[in-house]
Amino acid sequence: MTAIPPTSQQQIDNSCRLPLFALFGGAAVWLALSSVFGVFASLTFHKPSMFADCAMLSYGRAFPAWANLLVYGFCLPAGLGVGLWLLARLGRVELAKPWLIVVGAKLWHAGVLVGLIGILAGQSTGFEWLEMPRPAAVILFLAFMLITVWAYVTYTRRTEASLYPSQWFVLAALLWFPWIFSTATLLLQILPVRGVVQASVAWWFAGNLLNVWLTLAGLASTFYVLPKLTGRPLQSYYLALFVFWTLILFGTWTGIPAAAALPAWMPTLSGAASVMMLIPALAVVAIVILTVRGSQTPCGGGPLCFTKFAVGSLMLATVLLAISACPQVSRVTDYTWFGHGQTVLRIYGFFTMTMFGAIYHIMPQLVGPGRVCPRWMRINFWLVMPGILLLALPLVFGGIAQGLKFIDATIPFVDVSKSTLMAFRISTLGEFFIAVGNLIFLFNLLAAMVGYYRSVGKTAFAEATALQPVGVKP
Amino acid sequence: MNAEPSQSGRVVLETEPTATGLTVPMWLIAAMLVLLFLGAWYFDARGGWFEAKVYEPYHSVADVARFQPRSGGDAVLLRGKVLYEQNCALCHNPDGMGKLAQAPPLAGSEWVLAAGVNRLIRIPQVGLAGPIEVKGQLWNLNMAAMGVMYPDEDLAAVLSYIRNAWGNKASVVTAEQVKKVRTELAGRSQPYAPDELKKEAE
Amino acid sequence: MKSSALVFLAAFIALSASWGGFVLAPQLQLGRAAQVKTIPAQDNYPVARPGLAAQGAEVYRSLGCVYCHSQSVGQDGVKCEIVLTDAGTNAIATLAALGKFNAELGKPTTLALLPKAILQVADMNAADPILKAISSAGAKAQVLVSALGPDMARGWGRRRTVAQDYLYDLPVQPGSRRAGPDLANVGWRWPDANWQLRHLYAPAAEVQGSTMPAYRFLFELRPLGKPAAASALQLSGAFAPPAGFEIVPTDAARALAAYLVSLRADAPLFESPFTAPAAPAAATNSPVK
Repeated sequence: MTAIPPTSQQQIDNSCRLPLFALFGGAAVWLALSSVFGVFASLTFHKPSMFADCAMLSYGRAFPAWANLLVYGFCLPAGLGVGLWLLARLGRVELAKPWLIVVGAKLWHAGVLVGLIGILAGQSTGFEWLEMPRPAAVILFLAFMLITVWAYVTYTRRTEASLYPSQWFVLAALLWFPWIFSTATLLLQILPVRGVVQASVAWWFAGNLLNVWLTLAGLASTFYVLPKLTGRPLQSYYLALFVFWTLILFGTWTGIPAAAALPAWMPTLSGAASVMMLIPALAVVAIVILTVRGSQTPCGGGPLCFTKFAVGSLMLATVLLAISACPQVSRVTDYTWFGHGQTVLRIYGFFTMTMFGAIYHIMPQLVGPGRVCPRWMRINFWLVMPGILLLALPLVFGGIAQGLKFIDATIPFVDVSKSTLMAFRISTLGEFFIAVGNLIFLFNLLAAMVGYYRSVGKTAFAEATALQPVGVKP
Repeated sequence: MNAEPSQSGRVVLETEPTATGLTVPMWLIAAMLVLLFLGAWYFDARGGWFEAKVYEPYHSVADVARFQPRSGGDAVLLRGKVLYEQNCALCHNPDGMGKLAQAPPLAGSEWVLAAGVNRLIRIPQVGLAGPIEVKGQLWNLNMAAMGVMYPDEDLAAVLSYIRNAWGNKASVVTAEQVKKVRTELAGRSQPYAPDELKKEAE
Repeated sequence: MKSSALVFLAAFIALSASWGGFVLAPQLQLGRAAQVKTIPAQDNYPVARPGLAAQGAEVYRSLGCVYCHSQSVGQDGVKCEIVLTDAGTNAIATLAALGKFNAELGKPTTLALLPKAILQVADMNAADPILKAISSAGAKAQVLVSALGPDMARGWGRRRTVAQDYLYDLPVQPGSRRAGPDLANVGWRWPDANWQLRHLYAPAAEVQGSTMPAYRFLFELRPLGKPAAASALQLSGAFAPPAGFEIVPTDAARALAAYLVSLRADAPLFESPFTAPAAPAAATNSPVK
């Protein structure tokens, strides 16, 4: 390697600033909007005919709006933003073509907007986790590729040759999403395959998106943020390698539910893979415990708190995934709210919390000290954390109760449905907490960005109006 | 958190995380192997080994076959009847009595009713040409490889039907038997001569 | 891993394996499926939906019905029973034949109130000798194969759903949650399109305690025409329109109802055998007026 002088931290941060503002800012907007749709969707269960005259807010549209804004609006751009930061920082290199990444980010958010309008207007594709209609899917794919290309160029220009575990996870995530998303869009929307193969492709996509992509992107951040915050090295390289291999090898086969109307080999294989997911999850917990143990850093509602809670949620969600793959359990939990609880725990509990932690760690370095309000950050944590538990756990336990009632065919179905209402009332409360927390996150982020721009503006104004031009020494 | 300029004015890099060389604990690897074994066992027990027609709660094709309905006539024979009438009856006649100068009878034919089905399965797969004695009468005709396009199950159904229709009474032909012969005959396009067929095991 | 090539290789190997397994393999195995014959009736299955029902499938997709309704019946097991349909003329011979299999069956009460299931057997092969014995005694019997599981007990279907059932669907919507009942056979359970329309307009009017949202935006409230529109809903009580008005389904509502009525996935196939009678079991979610 030629002796290129390592890029200074300041230069790296400068190159990351605008792309990350674009990715995180838009993501925060979509996240807040998504939780508003989440509240609407949840309200339908309290008063079923609440939106009887409004097709747009009916459950069948508010729910996919919630899910898609959460995953495509928040999770992907936030994960990408953190991934870019990691590639730049760990590679000790400036981000390549930041303005093109900004264009990519704007294009991505435009795609999400098109998709949201499509879903609300009734143009949803009908495949869960892939509802955005064809034009939106094409825009999203192009935007992702635009960002990926420059992320990869950044990676190849790195001046730090040795790879840190987080980089593996980011690189794999960059490869993963275009592959699964293009396969699913092509085979479901552009040249649709016949019959049940559609369902198989859609489940494969959803499994890879929720169980692999989110975990890859989330762990990339966790493995960076933890040592950074605790001041201790990651414990350890080989455990991280073990997580990487087991996660991609087993996780990629998950997604097909036990009750799927597919030949037995597919749900069986997928179920076995879901149980195997316990292994990477246990290894992650081991890494986190070994790394955090002995550190003096207080948790205090800060990034470390978010990250620890996220890892706990990942473990819990994986345990739920694994046990609901066992035939005796899946017989009860299939088609109940249990699966939704597991998904919520994974997306909100693990991924968004990881991203909150990472963003609260990164943002102060981009906007300058003192502009991200630590008090609002703590309030954010103390709203979202109980909110997630109040949302996910009632769904999980309510789902089990619902399933146990369901398999007893002497209980009329209407009573089975009604039995979940109490759990739903609690989960609406959780949904509400999360919505408020997400709004606080949005305002905290926007305020920090505005504060940064105002100071830049002030400096520029001072420079422009100064008696002596800056840089000209008398 | 930002890099602090040092006294010399050069930027000091904030340290980026490193990882230790601690090895993967044995209990984790052991747990993985145990789960892998359980997963493989689970797949073997319930996965139906990639069969397209095996769904929960069935675990193998044989398992599904155990519950195939037979009421209202045997389902396989019924299927065979439909296929026979569409494809075979033109020459062999719907009543299996054959047609003069077209095809010999199947009803009561010693070729059809043979205890073993090995020879019978071969005929529709590659055809039959040359003088053949059926029920004491000599026929000298050609039969094309009519069955070559049929899936194993369909050919088995037709053959089962002719062995059990019009007063015939013999064992049914299974798809596995057809498949076995088909593999043996793979690549052969030459029709059997009756004498050659007699050399095959019954 | 020191080299990025290794990282990409690892990711490539892992993802291409599952891509081969869950995208390519199903396409090779099921992607070229065609209509099949039902067993033993030899009907073609499935048949494409008629035009209005096909439009209704689009409405179903557009409204996101899939988030509350699955179209996928599950099955826990299968049961094989011998049903005695006719005792024959020689009751003594019949009882003697039955008594050989089970001493209880040798008692005269066996022959009362026919047809009835007299014996549960492991499978068809186990049933054969018993059927033979019964028929040689001059009596008649059949084997009843029925699918088991809560879905069947609720009358939601006669067998599990299999790949063949989705052959002509686009998109295929098996669903993941049952906030409402499974709809795989809803056209068999409630074949009346007008019932479906009334239920869409006001679920609680048709099913007491229903938690389903009303879909009033699929209907028009308009002044009573002269004569009244033929398609106006026949509603009563709290759900009836104000005097001088009628409620008329839009095209979307009619298409959706036609689609729901067309939903039926219970043809006996090789991979999901059964001989259970066509009449639905007592559905525990049947409408309560």
